Amino acid sequence: MKKFEFYKPKSLTEVWELKEMIPNSRYIAGGTDVMVKVKSGLLVPDALISLRDIPELKNITVGENIHIGAGSTISELIDNEQLQTSVPVLIQAAKRIGSLQIRNVATIGGNIGNCSPCADTAPALLVLEARVVVRSGKNIREIPLQNFFTGPGASCLTSQEIVVEIIIDIPNTKTKAISMKKGRVQLDLALASVAVLMETDGNFCKKVRIAAGSVAPVPLRLIEVEKLLENSEITEEKIKEAQQIAMKSVSPISDVRTTADYRCQLVGVYVKKSIQSLIN
Amino acid sequence: MSKLNYIGKTIPRPDSGDKVAGKALYIQDLSRPGMLYGKIKFSEHAHAKILHIDITKAQKLPGVMAVVTAYNTPEMRFGFLRDNFILKKDKVRQFRDEVAAVAAISQEIAEEAIRLIDVEYEPLPGIFSPLEACQENAILIHELDPQGKPVKDNKVPVLFQHSSGDIEAGKKAAKHIVSGSFSTQWIQQSCMGTAGAIAEFDMNNNLTIWTKTQVPFLAQRDFIGFLPCLGLKDKNVRVIVPTLGGAFGTGLDTHAYEYISILLAYKTGKPVKIVYDRNEEFACLSPRQSSQTKITQGCDENGMLTFREIHVIQDNGAYTSWGATFPSVMLLPATSLYRVPNIKFHADIYYTNNTYCQAMRGYGNPEVNWALETNMDELAEIAGIDPYEFRMINCNKSNETTPMGLKVTTCALDKCMESVATKLDWKHSRNQQGKYRGVGMASLFHVGGGGRIYKSDGTGMFLKLDDFGNVYVSHGGVEMGQGLHSVLKLGVAEALGVKPEKVFINQVDTNTCPWDVGTHASRGSFMAGNVTIKAANDLRNKLFEQAKNLFPSLADKNLKAFCKKNPSYEAPKFDVREAALKGNFDLVEGYLFIKDAPKEPWLLVELGTLLRAIHFREQGTMLSAHAFYDPPNELPDWNKGYGNMSASYAVGAQGAEVEVDTETGEVKILRMVAVHDVGKVLNPQTLKGQMYGALAQGLGYTLYEQILTKEGKILNPDFRDYKIPTVKEMDFPIDLEFVETNDSAGPWGAKGVGESGLCPTAPAISNAIYNAIGVRVRDLPITPEKILAALQEKQKQQSE
Amino acid sequence: MKREISFNVNSQQMKLEVESHLRLIDLIRDQLGLTGTKEGCGEGECGACTVIVDGKAVNACLYPALELEGRTLITIEGLLEEENKPSVIQKAFIDNGAVQCGFCSPGMIMSTKALLDKNNDPSDEEIRIALLGNLCRCTGYVQIVESVKAAASQIRRKS
Repeated sequence: MKKFEFYKPKSLTEVWELKEMIPNSRYIAGGTDVMVKVKSGLLVPDALISLRDIPELKNITVGENIHIGAGSTISELIDNEQLQTSVPVLIQAAKRIGSLQIRNVATIGGNIGNCSPCADTAPALLVLEARVVVRSGKNIREIPLQNFFTGPGASCLTSQEIVVEIIIDIPNTKTKAISMKKGRVQLDLALASVAVLMETDGNFCKKVRIAAGSVAPVPLRLIEVEKLLENSEITEEKIKEAQQIAMKSVSPISDVRTTADYRCQLVGVYVKKSIQSLIN
Repeated sequence: MSKLNYIGKTIPRPDSGDKVAGKALYIQDLSRPGMLYGKIKFSEHAHAKILHIDITKAQKLPGVMAVVTAYNTPEMRFGFLRDNFILKKDKVRQFRDEVAAVAAISQEIAEEAIRLIDVEYEPLPGIFSPLEACQENAILIHELDPQGKPVKDNKVPVLFQHSSGDIEAGKKAAKHIVSGSFSTQWIQQSCMGTAGAIAEFDMNNNLTIWTKTQVPFLAQRDFIGFLPCLGLKDKNVRVIVPTLGGAFGTGLDTHAYEYISILLAYKTGKPVKIVYDRNEEFACLSPRQSSQTKITQGCDENGMLTFREIHVIQDNGAYTSWGATFPSVMLLPATSLYRVPNIKFHADIYYTNNTYCQAMRGYGNPEVNWALETNMDELAEIAGIDPYEFRMINCNKSNETTPMGLKVTTCALDKCMESVATKLDWKHSRNQQGKYRGVGMASLFHVGGGGRIYKSDGTGMFLKLDDFGNVYVSHGGVEMGQGLHSVLKLGVAEALGVKPEKVFINQVDTNTCPWDVGTHASRGSFMAGNVTIKAANDLRNKLFEQAKNLFPSLADKNLKAFCKKNPSYEAPKFDVREAALKGNFDLVEGYLFIKDAPKEPWLLVELGTLLRAIHFREQGTMLSAHAFYDPPNELPDWNKGYGNMSASYAVGAQGAEVEVDTETGEVKILRMVAVHDVGKVLNPQTLKGQMYGALAQGLGYTLYEQILTKEGKILNPDFRDYKIPTVKEMDFPIDLEFVETNDSAGPWGAKGVGESGLCPTAPAISNAIYNAIGVRVRDLPITPEKILAALQEKQKQQSE
Repeated sequence: MKREISFNVNSQQMKLEVESHLRLIDLIRDQLGLTGTKEGCGEGECGACTVIVDGKAVNACLYPALELEGRTLITIEGLLEEENKPSVIQKAFIDNGAVQCGFCSPGMIMSTKALLDKNNDPSDEEIRIALLGNLCRCTGYVQIVESVKAAASQIRRKS
């Protein structure tokens, strides 16, 4: 492993100054992804720029809408009572990330910024229609999360930009959501994960958002399934159809973890079970 | 049996204290003055010619003290078939072949040096399965044998077979016959502490090596045999065993990295440490052998087994280690689990360009048990007999000799199976309609009184007493987490008659400890206990002999002091001198007394006091004892598959209740039960720990673990993708029960049971799955994907 | 490049020059000579390297050493009480059979301490969540969970 420099800037301004100075540098927050990649030689940076203790990235506020600083650790998210009440589906998904040791340092900005198709918070954030605020220097832009991921390990960020905040509009009180994940054992990356958010009036679906992870090059919304269900009566037949369409909407690969077929199967089953649980 | 003070009680093990404090020193934690760090460069091909190795850049790197290849060192072979080379020349035969190694002043520099070594290969077609290996014109993995003679095929030249009775007659006598083909996967032992060694020569060129081994004396033999390759004649090797971070069979052979550390230590004149990181542990350390088993069994109309035919094929990998001898232990369940009159067993093992395999807990027993115990359920089904009843009909009985010549002394298999059935509420649980829930069971038959697979199955012990009543134990068995130190400490305390706090266990060191063949075959406690009783007896006799003359004056002294404190005391009439001369003493909790003497406190002489009296006088002496125990078992004739290889046999049964999610294929373990005939419970706490741990490994074997390869390359060399059970996977009730049959061969009646706990787990769970959803997966691990595929297949068949 | 950092380790304030590319586990084992913390995988998968930083259990193999600046670190060595006495948790592990080869034990104990410091009456589920990131190959976890419960009970009694 090649040696590298390590910087602990105290503000975002410092962050960009360093980045400008050292082109072959990488941002590191919790380190649970970056440190593994550096150790394996996948990443060979001249320097790591730590985002761990930058105050501008640490705020979590729940007011008119939700602002989560990208530097918030997964544990901080889970322990935040306001988030527990306003976006329980995000908390549910966050609890399934790795181990406690990982959650204590990993950040939500990192979970997104690592751009893994398996990112555990992504399906929940997608159904919450989260927006990602990215900045580099004075440039700031807001990107819907579904436009953020461009491919496995890739996002629409420039090399300078970092995710600073995630904004979520608080779902209304009639909205319920659930997420599901399967690993080979309880401590695992997702073989497949699903999140479903629905606003219902009895069995009538007024609004639905469905997302899946680990079943395509990026975490994605299952738009076709949403179209089927939105503004319609949810019957057992509809649910079966939703299951089938979900399976057709994804393009998983077979890899060392499982087969494409199994991932498809899981997506279908989880969509079905999620809808059933939200209806009841 | 007389009352036991320590054996059978829950007493915390003596090595826990240092381990929980972080004070125990594993190979990772050790260093020697001036030590260098060794690192190995491994092959990047499964099968290729080595065209050229360029080490010049590595040699020039500052801090690098030596770079070795097969081209600048003499040829050095190892392995029990001598088909492996410490460094590879001309050809690599597997991805993890060692092509070069460096020693440098830091780990970082060693890693950098490895990167600077350039190797040019010419890839060759590879063989990645026994099927490919046995084809007519298959490329040869080894063209020449170790003697230099041309080899004609890829078969590994080992023979394990058994034939008893009349198979054809057995087939004719069968009313029902079932065949099945089963497979097991490569498994990584996954010790939490990885492999490693530190080698160091003194100025007489005698070698000391600290290494993660289970066979210090066989390793010593191997390394002594290796030194002449370095030009060293008649030199000695001292093997010292540090605290082991688990072993599970990884320490039963000697490995290239050990020889390389020795080579580098010799070249540099400095200690050299090589420790595998986790990636190397997965990719470059030999895993557990995979297997393919074809089994056919038949029974008559009453459900009695009439014959059993088993054929095993194994993928040996590129070189030979103990994985190739798994069939020697497969013979145990194959010939002796349940009573079968006509048996045929044969194993074929092939070289391939996959990773070569070594021992792991169970050593072939779980592999065959998987096929056998599943087949038993299938046969029971066709015969229309409940699987539990079917097993009881064919149950082993005590005091019988099996077709392999195994003399089964005590055997409570019937009790074990009965208890499993009761605990599972068998009849009711087998008929849980519409719930996708089911129960299943499986039994085991394994060695419990050592296992003679070498000429010697022996072990020695030295006991030394000092001036203070402390006893020091030198024994060659290794503590690898199984609790051997507990047995040693409590066993010596019990057998000698001192308090456990006065027993000190010396580090395993071939310089100071007597010989032991190795800590394997569940023999640790059995051997340690038996040799302890022998040695302690000897020491007691020596002590009592000395006490004949010295006890009276010490008792007198005691009496005087007692009378001073109690002036009104009147001593009973008792001729101490006369009684002492008879030598009828006992030693209990560190106090010596004459048996049948009045129970007066002044007639108790503290051991240290006596020992000082023995030592500090003219013509004084100090006491020690040594014993060697070689159990009453036989080295089997492997050509015949016959011989009583153990002094007693461990039997038991496990049961599982499962629930299957037929949409996701997930198998949820609702509960497990395990009932084992252990002879005698030496320490309930450590025994339970062994059983829980084995069960967890059995669970991983059944549902989660698998080394995945593609053309010889291991695809999942890390914990991210090789999944062992976590604390959440073990979140179900486990009901353990131990049956004590008090076997006369065992110390205090105990049998060795270190491996039993994982032998029947896979079929117990698989049989439960069949009861739950009516499908069988015959290839381990039983993953959700395979469950779904089996369900789909069943549905297809039903609709046709 | 080396940088000097100040931190508290096992109740001792320290200043140390640390190379920038090192991980916390390198600082702990090589520079401080505290070998109780073990490297089991180097990738944050096994938990053998678990230590407590600012009250939270973390994997030392994934934690950049320089991030320790201004923070409080507890390693397994820090649990030993005065006069070489094991802490309540360590004693519970000893007494309840939680230790076999012992390689995972320091990490397991640190995760336990992080849990019980926050919640001295954890449910079975909460214990398993806290220990999920600590792999053990020897024990099957049963006696480990029993030990945590015993330690918790002892701590509640003392408080």
